[in-house]
Amino acid sequence: MSENAIDKSGWLNLEINGKPVQMPPGSTVMDAAQTLKVFIPHFCYHKKLSIAASCRMCLVQVEKIPKPVPACATPVSEGMKVWTRSEMALAAQQSVMEFLLINHPLDCPVCDQGGECMLQDAAVGYGKGSSQFQEVKRVVLGKDLGPLVSAVEMSRCIQCTRCVRFSDEIGGQMELGMIRRGDRAEIVPFVGETVESELSGNMIDLCPVGALTSKPFRYQARNWELSRRKSVSPHDALGANLIVQLKRNQVVRVQPFENEAINECWLSDRDRFSYEALNSESRLMRPLVKKDGVLIETDWQEALPLAAARLKNIVERDGGEALGVLISPHATLEEATLMSRLAWTLGCDNIDYRLRQQDFSNTSKDAHVPWLGMPIADVSQLKAALFIGSFLRQDQPLLTARVRQAARHGAAISSLHSVRADWHLPLAHENVVPPSQLAAALAALVVAAHREAKVAQALPKVFDEVTPLENDVAIVRSLMNAPERTTIFLGSFAQQHEHAVLLHALTQRLADYTGTTLAVLPEAANSVGLALINAQPQKGGLNARTMLEKPRKAYVLLHTEAPFDIAQGGTALTALRQADFVLSLSPFRPADEGVLPDVVLPDIVLPIAPFTETSGTFINMEGRVQSFYGVAPPLGETRPGWQVIVALARLLEQPFAETTPEVVRASCLPSADSIAARLSNRIDTALQALPKAAAKETVERVAGVPIYHADPLVRRAPSLQRTALAAPPRVMMNAALATRLNLVKGGAVRIRQSEENDAVTVVLSWVCDETLPADTVRFDMAHPLTAGFDVCGEFHLEAAP
Amino acid sequence: MNRLRHFLKTWLLLELLSGLWLTFRRMFKPKFTIHVPEEKTPQGPRFRGLHAQRRYPNGKERCIACKLCEAVCPALAITIDIAEREDGSRRTTRYDVDLSKCIYCGLCMESCPVDSIVLTRIYEYHGEQHSDLCFTKDMLLAIGDHYEAQIAKNLEEDAPYR
Repeated sequence: MSENAIDKSGWLNLEINGKPVQMPPGSTVMDAAQTLKVFIPHFCYHKKLSIAASCRMCLVQVEKIPKPVPACATPVSEGMKVWTRSEMALAAQQSVMEFLLINHPLDCPVCDQGGECMLQDAAVGYGKGSSQFQEVKRVVLGKDLGPLVSAVEMSRCIQCTRCVRFSDEIGGQMELGMIRRGDRAEIVPFVGETVESELSGNMIDLCPVGALTSKPFRYQARNWELSRRKSVSPHDALGANLIVQLKRNQVVRVQPFENEAINECWLSDRDRFSYEALNSESRLMRPLVKKDGVLIETDWQEALPLAAARLKNIVERDGGEALGVLISPHATLEEATLMSRLAWTLGCDNIDYRLRQQDFSNTSKDAHVPWLGMPIADVSQLKAALFIGSFLRQDQPLLTARVRQAARHGAAISSLHSVRADWHLPLAHENVVPPSQLAAALAALVVAAHREAKVAQALPKVFDEVTPLENDVAIVRSLMNAPERTTIFLGSFAQQHEHAVLLHALTQRLADYTGTTLAVLPEAANSVGLALINAQPQKGGLNARTMLEKPRKAYVLLHTEAPFDIAQGGTALTALRQADFVLSLSPFRPADEGVLPDVVLPDIVLPIAPFTETSGTFINMEGRVQSFYGVAPPLGETRPGWQVIVALARLLEQPFAETTPEVVRASCLPSADSIAARLSNRIDTALQALPKAAAKETVERVAGVPIYHADPLVRRAPSLQRTALAAPPRVMMNAALATRLNLVKGGAVRIRQSEENDAVTVVLSWVCDETLPADTVRFDMAHPLTAGFDVCGEFHLEAAP
Repeated sequence: MNRLRHFLKTWLLLELLSGLWLTFRRMFKPKFTIHVPEEKTPQGPRFRGLHAQRRYPNGKERCIACKLCEAVCPALAITIDIAEREDGSRRTTRYDVDLSKCIYCGLCMESCPVDSIVLTRIYEYHGEQHSDLCFTKDMLLAIGDHYEAQIAKNLEEDAPYR
């Protein structure tokens, strides 16, 4: 927006260091100084956090005020005259600096913050040369804040309380606090607790000194020897912008690249710490070929022609439809496009990236691409929202922070789900129903909205037997009464539901009646991109589910790890086990035997580069195209995925013309117009009948994707795996169901998917969770313990001895 | 007249003879020549020779792996890798000095906050290959251990001026 476009009537005129500036009422001297690009030293002030004015470093002189005042907490007024470098201001800043340094240890040489420390910089720029303090400095004992944030040297803390305010305001959960007063004040977690937030890494960036530092990065490098390169997060569909920092071409740290439109100045922990997997021992350096049931390292000259020959054999013998291609939604646009093109030229239309979807009955004519339906930044401005079947916090941690921000400003956030929402934000209304009742509960909302909105057109027959309850009416009213910016979000659980298309159609109707927009929360970094390039069956081929249910002769897995990335884990294992040939393109070794006892080893594994070592493109949930270059050279004999596919195509005598990353990108990237035209959440599938309630005493399962098991990268990041959020899944159910199953407290549950003797059996511990609906158990998928199950289908639970 | 004087000066070799007269007189004065290696030139406490790593009297390494010497080195002669020890202390796992790069400026010694890296008075060393002149952490510590008394004395003498 140009400056002229802002209405400045009623703004206040003031002067800083003699320079005039206009500010809106209610802004502070610090805001005015930042507008003028006048730097005022500060520690506790942060633009995204509330004002504490506790460090006193930003003291400035204001005309007609006898004492210096803190710039961050002083509102501007008409005719104000501020001096930031006057004698009085400088003396005040020097004294504050001397006081802050009284108890700050002189351990800069061993401090990881050294070189990028605000206190160091301020001491040089605004401090005195020497201290008058002769006494003994205080010592604060270190704290254990979990495997990500190191708080060993808490003596360095200057009590700015940024971390405390962050955990409360952005993280939504107060996990740190300050106890005692004066020079005994210290930052502590709750007794016996650590920091478990999925955004905890941001505290490391926020801490102006070296009190909170990164545990995985501890003593790895000094900041001045790192080269900084831009990249894009390959995890959730937000596409957070990263600064990847390398030492001797090895990624040693990831920090946020500030982008107000996407991730602001934050990063979720998995964006920040998943880099550990890039240098882990499970990285594949050379191609693997299976000989006598064992994978043996070999070279490209042997592996690539062998892979091509075996694919060719199967295609020539059984036709292209004998092939199934499973593309991970974390793959780059380039890799997926080339892979789909290769499959099509081989006569194979069994291509899919929707690995966790179960309902493919969407028969909409236009191939719409589901997306967020609005810019990500608008989520912070929501006035009311309804989330349907969303594991918001574990699927989109940073979007949750934006929803939290909206809730703080009074937005009415409601949830319809099969579990209680644990998003650390105040919910206006909540409806928790068993998974089979989700459609019925949604239908009740539709009926309520139909009545409230006084729609003239009668409802279809499907809704005849649906009666909305008080809660449904309240949810609908909260959506309809909000002045503007209301949205209904369709979360991952709704999209992966057995009746996903019905849920989508009902939600669309609800959105139409209530006059709200409909948003779909895409699952992975490139879900939107892969939908745009049609990495799915185009001519009636098999989709991700059916190509596993009707086993193929050969499978090609691109970045996909079976069974972890696939909802139908059990079916996937059976299908892959019977296949003649499984080709896997992955940056990592296949999960070793210790992880999953009966894992399927691919016949050939070709090592392809992860996101840091290849150029690529992700299209995020708001349809933003984000291309990036490789920031490090490929490790070992790893090669970028697109190069491997191009080489494979050449050996299959279907050569592509593309040979450079730029040409590949240009040929793969849809035009901006075509992207805008296809992004839509409309579906025009006719409403199906509402599913019947599950038979009495049938146990239903709710499964989310645990945040640190969602993709191959996070599964191999050691520090993330040590967090509480990565703990093995436990079976949760309410006490009534536990009593019916004769479970004893502290005992375990044996889970089987079928009555057959050879069925996959897993024993998990169980916990009582009274918030779950009746006859519903929750245990998450994608973990080694539970990945072998199909998400849907029946479950048999019994007490384990 | 001038021309005549110039003529005589040139042809009677007066300047040469006055030079030789000086040489002749020097023959009877004490000699400056030092017979290396039997004799040594005197060295000040700030002499900048071969590098050494020091230990505390209790045997603990001084170096805390702050990497300031690596950062300050104008010749990029120092390479350091660091890791956390089991006791939580910050130590180097590698400390290499490439003596063929080093220009003996002594900035590493000045930047060191714990007086760990020092330049000793040793200046007689050689290598037949480049790798002979790449000194590792163990070698530097061994030098430090051997010459600790001298190094401590040097630092003590120089202390008032630092």
